[in-house]
Amino acid sequence: MVQVAKRDRAGSGTERSFADAVAKLELGAGETFHGEAIVAVTKALLQAGVSYVGGYPGAPVSHLIDVMAEAYDRILRPYGIHFEQSASEAGAAAMLGASIHYPLRGAVTWKSIVGTNVASDALSNLASAGVVGGALIVVGEDYGEGASVIQERTHAAAMKSSLPLIDPRYHMPLMVDLTEQAFDLSEACHLPVMMSLRIRAAHMTGSFVCRDNRPPAFGANNPVPRARFDYAKMVLPPSTYIQEKAKLEKRLPAAQAYILSHGLNEVFGPADGRIGIILQGGTYGVTLQALARLGAADGLGNSEVPLLVLNVIHPLVPEQILAFLDGKDQVLVIEEGNPAFIETQVRAMAQEAGVTCRIRGKDLLPAAGEFIAPVVRAGVHGFLSDAAPDPLKTRAEGRNAAIEAAAEAGRTAAATPPMPTRPPGFCVGCPERPVFTALKLLMRERGPIHVSGDIGCHTFATLPPFGIGNTVLGYGLGLASGGAVGPALDQPVVAVMGDGGFWHNGLATGAVNAQWQGLDAVLIVLENGYASATGQQHLPSSGTTPWGRRAEVSIEDALRGIGVTWIRRVDPYSVGATLDVLRQAMDARGPHLRAVISDAECMLAKKRRGNRRKARAERAGRPVRRARFGVDAEVCTGDHSCVRLSGCPSLTLRPSDDPLKDAPTAHVDTDCVACALCGEAAQAARLCPSFYKARGTVNATAWQRARAALNRRALDLLGAS
Amino acid sequence: MTAERPVCVQIAALGGQGGGVLAEWLTEAARLAGYPAQATSIPGVAQRTGATTYYFELFPERDPAGTPVFSLFPDADGLDLLAALEPTEAGRARENGLVTARTTVLTATARIYSTAEKMVAGDGLIPAAVILDGLAAAAGRMVPLDLAELSAKAGGPANAVMFGAIIASGVLPLSADDGRAAIRAGGKAVEANLAGFDVGLAAVDQPAEAVPEGSPVYSAPPPGFEDRIAALPEALRPLVGHALARLVDYQDAAYAGAYLDRLEPVVALDRGDGVALSAEVAKRLAAWMSYEDGIRVAQLKTRPGRLARIRGELGIDADAPFQVVEYLRPGPEEIAAILPPALARWVLRLGGGWDRGGRRVDTTSPAGYATFKAVAALRRWRPRTHGFRHENAAIGRWLDAVVAAARHDRALARQVAELAIWARGYGTVRRRGLDHLESLFVNWNNRLDAEPETVAADVARSLATARGDPDNDNREAA
Repeated sequence: MVQVAKRDRAGSGTERSFADAVAKLELGAGETFHGEAIVAVTKALLQAGVSYVGGYPGAPVSHLIDVMAEAYDRILRPYGIHFEQSASEAGAAAMLGASIHYPLRGAVTWKSIVGTNVASDALSNLASAGVVGGALIVVGEDYGEGASVIQERTHAAAMKSSLPLIDPRYHMPLMVDLTEQAFDLSEACHLPVMMSLRIRAAHMTGSFVCRDNRPPAFGANNPVPRARFDYAKMVLPPSTYIQEKAKLEKRLPAAQAYILSHGLNEVFGPADGRIGIILQGGTYGVTLQALARLGAADGLGNSEVPLLVLNVIHPLVPEQILAFLDGKDQVLVIEEGNPAFIETQVRAMAQEAGVTCRIRGKDLLPAAGEFIAPVVRAGVHGFLSDAAPDPLKTRAEGRNAAIEAAAEAGRTAAATPPMPTRPPGFCVGCPERPVFTALKLLMRERGPIHVSGDIGCHTFATLPPFGIGNTVLGYGLGLASGGAVGPALDQPVVAVMGDGGFWHNGLATGAVNAQWQGLDAVLIVLENGYASATGQQHLPSSGTTPWGRRAEVSIEDALRGIGVTWIRRVDPYSVGATLDVLRQAMDARGPHLRAVISDAECMLAKKRRGNRRKARAERAGRPVRRARFGVDAEVCTGDHSCVRLSGCPSLTLRPSDDPLKDAPTAHVDTDCVACALCGEAAQAARLCPSFYKARGTVNATAWQRARAALNRRALDLLGAS
Repeated sequence: MTAERPVCVQIAALGGQGGGVLAEWLTEAARLAGYPAQATSIPGVAQRTGATTYYFELFPERDPAGTPVFSLFPDADGLDLLAALEPTEAGRARENGLVTARTTVLTATARIYSTAEKMVAGDGLIPAAVILDGLAAAAGRMVPLDLAELSAKAGGPANAVMFGAIIASGVLPLSADDGRAAIRAGGKAVEANLAGFDVGLAAVDQPAEAVPEGSPVYSAPPPGFEDRIAALPEALRPLVGHALARLVDYQDAAYAGAYLDRLEPVVALDRGDGVALSAEVAKRLAAWMSYEDGIRVAQLKTRPGRLARIRGELGIDADAPFQVVEYLRPGPEEIAAILPPALARWVLRLGGGWDRGGRRVDTTSPAGYATFKAVAALRRWRPRTHGFRHENAAIGRWLDAVVAAARHDRALARQVAELAIWARGYGTVRRRGLDHLESLFVNWNNRLDAEPETVAADVARSLATARGDPDNDNREAA
């Protein structure tokens, strides 16, 4: 058994700095903000006078939480704004309950669709009860390129719970205005409002002229006078029946009235015209790009085709839609993802009103997949080619043909093998990688084992070279998702979970349940100290809160507390020892949970801290150690077993100039952090004697140099030089 | 006249290469120069290894009559400039129809290999030259840059070099001073970044020349073999000379002579019909005869100059403390291999019960180095070791199988020669490989006569396994 001393994890929140972004949050009226959209939206929350902010990190909105956490002492606390990094999206949505009874403006954020799914219990209850204080949910739409979640629309959740859904045109001043107006809208219709930002939009740069931050109407500095009770806001009958009717009869109509009267949706282009395009605000840029390339618009957004830009995609405003359809033969709906809720509704409105305008959409644009430029251009070209009058039709066809021909010429200019994919993977020195090395070796001994995967960096283990993790059912659900698998395969349930997943859902749904029901299960918890995949946010077990106050909740204690007695901490870099513990855990069959905690800090965090310290020391002339692994190319036989057990970016290959070698030899590049995995794996798997660890001291002291000189003299006598 | 479209730039990079900072510099330079512009990114998740792309649009008019509309996506045939910090990332953009006659491509020439390429048991690498040629054929203008060298020359980071090259390409209406101002405004490592930027500015006019990676370097043949080498076909001579030099270093001149004794009959088989088979055998035989036993590993690890090389790579002064620790795990097979047969049998009977997961030996300590020297000194006794006899018996079986196959089918014989790749690795991997070959060659001559198709299929399957799944990871559950 391996017992590792609890490490000294700095965890002081100093791994990263968002000082630049925090400074932007302090800009006053008339000053110009330059920066990323997600920070602009964060600033807009302060301008709207929020009383509280929460959320759960996830791309592309983690930054909102990061920046708020860092701004905690400088801005939030002085303003009396409450801030939490919520335990989960459900917790974040539940936080909005503060706005049910009290005129408190609040905003929370998460990654959708997954976060919305986790939050949906609280969201449904919140929307049914209704709010008096403006409540905003900023969701990061993880759809398309770079996405790390299943591809579904948030739109469905907004529709079923009657949440107004803003999909803003990506023009930063407008995004800021709409963020602030979202609170007014929420208060006008008593519904929580969602605003959705696609990945590229969250990272988009731009500028806007700021307003002053507004202190919240109520908050820590100015408490609400007294607690309120109102059974009409309880989600129990008969209130729920009344609430359901209110949503349809009062709240959504109030939202529609606000949208119309405040001009939240926009109309561009000529007032007349036989064709038109209805589009989601977020697709405005790519649509105008397509129109410009097809000769139907200029670079300043002057379009020959009338456009109805829906910055609010739910609820639609029938009179606005019908007014746009009026007098047109065909209208194209540009709507990303499926089902095509907007298109279906527009078609129904036209049909009910007896309007003959033909509604186009998914017949010209793909039902699935991100609306990137070539996709939208193809759809718009199809529409113009079919519906536009000449000369626009001919122009669009000619331009599109030229674009396609040029692209094809580029693609086929020379025959090249397909480029290898390059998905994200474990970083150099990542402490999670060696756990999968050990698991892979275990499977070489025992044959395939079904491993229930989870959400986190460790999901990358499903990719080459490991291919470990048979299913992923949701965050923290790894252990729960294996319950019926282990018995069916006559193996213990084996689940891998990060510390993020453990706290998010894994403790209650997985560990407690397994322990209670006597599951024959092995839970591997990768405790690296952070929610690393989303940008190293702190967790209950990190050691500090997001804003740096010391506070630690222990995973091991939690497991002991629920009665788990078989707990082993391993240093994952000791691959052989980890493999040994995994064997023991597998073999300790019986109706109880075995927990293996891999205990090593996220290397990115460790490196960020360590590199700064080392750079300071080296500049100051103090001794600094340097270490790296290496491979003797002559000893390497080029079989690349080491790569198949690691996948470390730093463990790479070098074409060999030895005519007797069949293949490139292994090579460790200068990014190596000397985590020792390659050496350990070579030993654990009995690969080869090629690996060595080299280390030396920069700025060595005179005493160190003198000892080194003695040693060197001895080696020289033996013929080493 | 209003411009119809912005100038469109994509930066393709790997996580950690500084593509984000490069995009920030571009955005800042545009802002300082008074051009409307917008950048965005798919930085991936927090990880540092996957492909990342940054997309930037600049409207080429300082005070347009309205608000330019920017897109977050490049369109096909829509990139004016592609700046790639790694060639496959540029190649990927070409696959997506983004590199066309309107595109200027600035790309790093050095490959950073993907996991998929590195995992292949043989050579799965895509050479940079193939990708660069494809880009040159597709792009309007192609500027390959040796970023590593330029960056070393400048003492500045590669992304700053690329920033300089982007400005110098003239695709954007931004001046060198705009670029420098953006770097200063960034405020981080300003001097190093400016140095890189200036080198990048100049580099566009001197594109890098593609250097072929890993072209073979032949050692000079050792003296004493002149006549026998001269008797070989000319095409074989550099390879055989190299092999002889290797074997003299490995053992002695007599051993190198034994190599020629084995090779010459195969060369005779090839006479009058190229050297395909004999070249294959010449290479495989030399590699096998210089198999890496413990003695060889100790010899290589105690070579004069090795420690100095490692020290240099680590950037440690000659007089500073320095340590090299070898990660070893000799199993019973490897220990037995360098012992006389009687002792070896005893060790093999003993098994690996003593094994506690490996040894770490400090070859920079006098004791560690002396131990390795002592093992290397066993070289003169090598021919009497268990391993030598075992390997040479296997070599003999393999050569006989090659010669027998050549009598039936020259192409099959060449594949049989290739089967020597199974004689690789150390310890159990090596034993598995040799066992596999031995079982394949059982009853070989009779089978060649009786069922040549089955034999050919077996050989093909064996080669595919050797290259595709040497660890047997894809087997079905036992």
